[in-house]
Amino acid sequence: MTNLQSLEFFIPELILTITILAALITDLFVKKSKTNMIGWVLGVGLVVVGLSVHNLSSAPPTTLFLDMIVIDPFSSFMKIVIILSTLLVIVASWVNDELEKYRKGEYFTIMGIMVMGLFLMTSSVDIIMLYISIEVVSIMSFVLAAYLKLDTRSNEAGLKYVIYGAFSSGVMLFGLSIVYGLAGSTNYFAIQDTLSSLDGSANPALIMALLMIFAGFGYKISSVPFHFWTPDVYEGSPSTITAYLSVAPKAAGFAMIIRFFHQVFSDSIGLTSNSIGSTDLPWPEIIGVLAVVTMTMGNLVAIQQKSIKRMLAYSSIAHAGYMMLALPVLSMEAVESIMIYLFIYVFMNLGAFFIVIFVKNKTGGESFEDFEGLGWKMPIVGAFMTLFMLSLTGLPPTAGFVGKLYIFKTLVGAGSEFLWLVIAGGVNSVISLYYYFHVVKVMFLGGKRSDVITYPPSTMFGLMIFTAVPSLILGLYWNPLASWVKDSLVFYNQVM
Amino acid sequence: MADLVFWIIAAVTIMSAAFVVLNNQLIYSAVALLFTLFGVAGLYVFLWADFIAGIQILVYVGGILVLVIFGIMLTNKIKSVRISHKSMQQGVGGVVTFWFFIFLFIALTKAPWAFSDAVEPVGTVREIGVLLLTDFLLPFEIISLLLLGALIGAAVLSRGES
Repeated sequence: MTNLQSLEFFIPELILTITILAALITDLFVKKSKTNMIGWVLGVGLVVVGLSVHNLSSAPPTTLFLDMIVIDPFSSFMKIVIILSTLLVIVASWVNDELEKYRKGEYFTIMGIMVMGLFLMTSSVDIIMLYISIEVVSIMSFVLAAYLKLDTRSNEAGLKYVIYGAFSSGVMLFGLSIVYGLAGSTNYFAIQDTLSSLDGSANPALIMALLMIFAGFGYKISSVPFHFWTPDVYEGSPSTITAYLSVAPKAAGFAMIIRFFHQVFSDSIGLTSNSIGSTDLPWPEIIGVLAVVTMTMGNLVAIQQKSIKRMLAYSSIAHAGYMMLALPVLSMEAVESIMIYLFIYVFMNLGAFFIVIFVKNKTGGESFEDFEGLGWKMPIVGAFMTLFMLSLTGLPPTAGFVGKLYIFKTLVGAGSEFLWLVIAGGVNSVISLYYYFHVVKVMFLGGKRSDVITYPPSTMFGLMIFTAVPSLILGLYWNPLASWVKDSLVFYNQVM
Repeated sequence: MADLVFWIIAAVTIMSAAFVVLNNQLIYSAVALLFTLFGVAGLYVFLWADFIAGIQILVYVGGILVLVIFGIMLTNKIKSVRISHKSMQQGVGGVVTFWFFIFLFIALTKAPWAFSDAVEPVGTVREIGVLLLTDFLLPFEIISLLLLGALIGAAVLSRGES
């Protein structure tokens, strides 16, 4: 579609751009103590963006801006997931005491720009567009990670993030340049067309390119061996940003991986093939091994943590591993299970982080000692945290169970060669039970019992309710989610 | 003749890049980077990308590198600063890098590259301009958003906190 015709289907992003500018300009007229208002501007803008994304989700799939991005139900689903998590994080930022010392205007503006990058990550079908959208997200995350300027850990987080980010971008660009050199085009569909007609002589170059590209993608979803930045960045960043980084870029990252590998390197239209192009590389096995290593590493290191925030950082690495389990199975069911898992993961993970923020506001720390006796002092918060921990472990009747169920169902259905992934996933869930329940144990069995019961302030309470209800309800009645995901399983495909 | 010039430029680029990495005095590295960036501009010329070569010199050599050198010069006691962290795990890293290089070398020499038989363009500026406002309009516009964000971010991080 030509540039002018595309504008009609680009309305969500246009509204988002206007919102960003409005947030930036409003910030000029607002006193430091009132900068929460910029969050309102961004929040209201995002709600409108969400509505218009929803409006467009039933439009026929097509490419926009001369094959730069696509609009299809899959990208609309991911955009709505991103908007939901951003809205929750905006509200949490109002009540996060860590940010009190700073102006929050730029914080919210930069978050808006990041949402734009995430949107484009989910819908790019051109290497150049893909790279630029990744950079938009990365550079905005660097700034947000370092936002607590007076805290040296936050400075460290920002700097480490920049260095790792620059390195992985460089490696990924090298890989992408090899793909461009082989295909002579930056467009996904043209690349797919050329690659499927290549003979075996291109295989070594293609394998090297794939590995290097995966370095960039793995960095975004923090998969082993590209995860080294995760714990330090997650620990040093403002807790709200940690929560945000653990869900939104991961969702966009998975959308990007699915679109890239399934559309560029599958040799047929749609996701029916089990091999990637003409390469002899055992690609499913490699991704499978990476997934298992990612989960196991995340879980084993999470056990040793003293800080709950850092433990949740490692646990988010493990969760990336669970979702990666479904990647080797190149089928629609696999994508479906990843989408369901992502949606559920957003709520349970954000919920757990919100409670960490709440406890830090109260006690000033985020280690296990700060959680001692929480179940007695604040029974409601303790109960919510228990629910999130149950859900993150994946025990019924919580939503996390449904997420894992779908992933394992896909793997079992895909045949016996994927059975080892199921076993590895099961073993890992048991390992994770240990450290998630350690939190519950500390909350209810540790510390002194107290007769004074305190309740969380209303905004925080609202956030907990809003994340806890889906974490529970989706475990009992997930049909609406499943049917929504099924409807969203439409990719734009082009026959060359 | 052109071949000879190419090899000279390639050699200067690689050797100065190695010097940037291996030297442990920041200011020497920064100056060596000057030659690397000039060399890359030279390579662009060989790819018929004259405009990009000019931009490379203007932006990287004229802008970024000068900024880097200013940064180093204006930092207090920079002369006494040595890069304190030596590379760790040199053995393992060396083996991995060596095999990575070998694989990459084989892969890149064997690959059936998609060469185009384009004729030498008269000037590339016009074509780049047209492409930026037609085929690559969206990336071009998104970059402006990225720059806005980067500007805000730089201002936020460098502003003094009261």
